[in-house]
Amino acid sequence: MTDQYLYLSPQWAQEVEWRLRLELTPEKMNGLTSSMNNIYNNCPGGDKKFFFVSFQEGVVDQVQTGSGEGPKAEFIIHGDYEIFKQISQATLGAQRALMTGQLKLKGNMVKALKLASLVDRINKVIATIPTIF
Amino acid sequence: MSNTNITQDPYYVDFKARIEQIQSVMAAKNIDLYLGSRLRTMSWTTGAFFPWRAFIVIPGHGLPTAFTFVIDAARAADDSWLDEDHVLGFVPMGGQDQISQISDFIKDQLPAGKGRIGIESGMSNYLPEGNLTHYEYEQFNAALESCELVNAHEIIDGLALIKDEGTINRFREASRIVDAGHQVVYEAIKDGGWKGMTETEIAGLAAYAMRKAGSVWEWSFTGGNEIASGYRTGLAAGACTPATTKTLQAGEPLMVDIHAMFQLGLGDHSHNYLIGPTTDRQRWHANNFLDIVKLTLKTYRAGITPSNLAFEMMGFAEERGFADFMVPGFEHGIGMMGDEWRIGMNDGPFPYWTNPDHVYQANEVLICAMQYACPEENIGFRYENPIVIHEDHCEELSKFRLTVDEIN
Repeated sequence: MTDQYLYLSPQWAQEVEWRLRLELTPEKMNGLTSSMNNIYNNCPGGDKKFFFVSFQEGVVDQVQTGSGEGPKAEFIIHGDYEIFKQISQATLGAQRALMTGQLKLKGNMVKALKLASLVDRINKVIATIPTIF
Repeated sequence: MSNTNITQDPYYVDFKARIEQIQSVMAAKNIDLYLGSRLRTMSWTTGAFFPWRAFIVIPGHGLPTAFTFVIDAARAADDSWLDEDHVLGFVPMGGQDQISQISDFIKDQLPAGKGRIGIESGMSNYLPEGNLTHYEYEQFNAALESCELVNAHEIIDGLALIKDEGTINRFREASRIVDAGHQVVYEAIKDGGWKGMTETEIAGLAAYAMRKAGSVWEWSFTGGNEIASGYRTGLAAGACTPATTKTLQAGEPLMVDIHAMFQLGLGDHSHNYLIGPTTDRQRWHANNFLDIVKLTLKTYRAGITPSNLAFEMMGFAEERGFADFMVPGFEHGIGMMGDEWRIGMNDGPFPYWTNPDHVYQANEVLICAMQYACPEENIGFRYENPIVIHEDHCEELSKFRLTVDEIN
């Protein structure tokens, strides 16, 4: 039986990092150097959590999860836990969530649009992780 | 982002110094941050053309940041002195629509998100002026609830009035380009070349010639190049003639008013023709027009006002018996793209209209503009030429000959 990981736990973050390194080569990530911090509002239990990921020249540099707002990043995305959960389950696209105002992005939009397909790639990998929400 | 060698570039404009001037006036007026939205403000502060809705946020210190529709943000950044981190795009996405994006940005710029914000509000005859709309004002006011929004457009208007050398040189070059357009039109329509031609064709010929000579746009919102023939030259009190598909006819006047843009400097010059056979009465009208243009150009200098110039010129027209055919205005304002409307400051007795008592100062640039119209005889002429006001004379930037050419 495949191990299951608790969503946003340190083990889940480790698995995300391992799978991103395995499946997203620097070429697939267009040599990207950037960082993104998803801030989850209204988490179960009422607190705030974050999921931070950074890349250096297309290689995953850091994946972190935790309580609170997390580290500074080039792009910060705010949203409800339930919305991020649907994205991580691949039942909702990140772009649709942004276009419907369910997520709020802070950062340079011109750069963000260039990275939209890369974010989709990341989310697709995350959706393959057996997760307990 | 362009890197300009100041010592070699005659068109160099010190945009950073402009921003610092704005910030200095802001400080004096107790304004913590300026939110510009007018096309003239975008041009004057960024050096780039912003055809889509755009805003500029100027903090109390440091670089400004421009915002526009995302499809054009990268291009605008490329054309501007600002880098891509200071020209941002907005889209209809969470946190990225213009109200959320700009108000969030402003809050980050102000201590505790509080302060006095200068905005641009008012009215204009120029449709793409870009004053904050009622809706935008309400939305920003709600999003920036800890801030006070105050109308402060006069800061830019005051600073942009006197042109620097680089800006004037841009206008000189735009006028040189316009003259190249006029020459090509003349070559094309002389000696019967006009036969079968339409106004739109002439507009296109001029546009092609000017683009070849370095213009990036026939910038006028009045349909680009304005061409009028026959009765359209003499429309009552008219000074706006987008070209139509009307075909040129023998015995009619023809007015060619063309526009070029060079580094946001604007060329705008009208030249007039009589298509033969020409009558003595038409020549009488033409001579009236030429004489008043010459006198007006001779009169322009620092120290005079729009009203005393108009008084003098209308007196001359009355003496000569053609006052009924003159539209009693002799100029319109001009500046970098988007600054086309009122002359000088808009602090006249009628809000947002030209002040008739504005005293011209050296290095103001305006369009010397006159419209002669006799609708009863289907004849009219237009003069437009950017001029630089000097202490004792004005400098005409278009050098194309001042004549009403008779062509056959």
